[in-house]
Amino acid sequence: MTEHSAGPPDAYVEAEIQRLLTEDPDVAEQGITVVHRETGLVLTGEVESPQRRAEILRRVAERFPDEAITSDIGVIRTQAPVQVEELP
Amino acid sequence: MIRIAAVGDVHLDADVLGRFRPALEELPDCADVLLLAGDLTRHGTESEARCVAEEFGGLGVPVVTVLGNHDHQCDQVPQVVKVLEDAGITVLEGTGTVLDCPGGRLGVAGVKGFGGGFAGRCASDFGEPEMKSFVRTSNESAAALGEALRGLDCDLLVALTHYAPVPDTLAGEPLEIYPFLGSYQLGQAIDSAPTALALHGHAHAGSERGVTPGGVRVRNVAHPVIKQAYSVFHLGGDQID
Repeated sequence: MTEHSAGPPDAYVEAEIQRLLTEDPDVAEQGITVVHRETGLVLTGEVESPQRRAEILRRVAERFPDEAITSDIGVIRTQAPVQVEELP
Repeated sequence: MIRIAAVGDVHLDADVLGRFRPALEELPDCADVLLLAGDLTRHGTESEARCVAEEFGGLGVPVVTVLGNHDHQCDQVPQVVKVLEDAGITVLEGTGTVLDCPGGRLGVAGVKGFGGGFAGRCASDFGEPEMKSFVRTSNESAAALGEALRGLDCDLLVALTHYAPVPDTLAGEPLEIYPFLGSYQLGQAIDSAPTALALHGHAHAGSERGVTPGGVRVRNVAHPVIKQAYSVFHLGGDQID
């Protein structure tokens, strides 16, 4: 298992962030993937608004202030469908 | 032919209000009904339910929903249900409804469902009280869905759940969390009736298409999966014997 400096093992950091994002009532997101790389934390997934993405990044930065954070969290599109699925 | 629009996991709160509405305004032109597959809110509060009512109420087509696990978070289910029903949204939990559509009578039976896992890799009603309670919740939920499905008199039958009835539509999710995403008992309930289509949400990283062991088509309509305001399905409207 890779460890970064004197910090906790990657798996525990990832687990703590995933639980933080789910259990913190200001976030309540279960669909964010967290990976702890040598370059820092990488967050991926999709949320329903830009405000939620910003809050996720704020919470993680607050908890792990010494980690660089890379975000690839998208906001899910809400356009009307252009095609239907035919189910005979 | 009956036209069904569906989406799940919209997780509404004030910050999302209005995002779906432009697409929803088009619904009467392209669908006879809108089905919502649970997780309408972030935490299941009454105020979030009012956001759902504002966004998904008064659409010009009937709206039928089940609740999801997020809608249970704050233990305000009765208040949430009342807000939704006051807005004209039908909330199913082990119950069904029949809608008169231009293409025939559409029966929708719904339940939130629960986890437990899939055949051969599932939790069992055995051991600690907590485990037995978990599995019995899955069993009771599926039994209620099956009873509701078999009790509907309609031309076309659709099952609506939050949790997944098959593993097919979980492809993309980590295998380790499949038991928290659905149960085979839901699929068994769906197969116990002449169901034409099963819709669910919950699995944000899953995939769209699957089929039950009995041959019923399954679609995961979680918003992060379909990546549009809703999906539309055209069903043939074959008569149910």
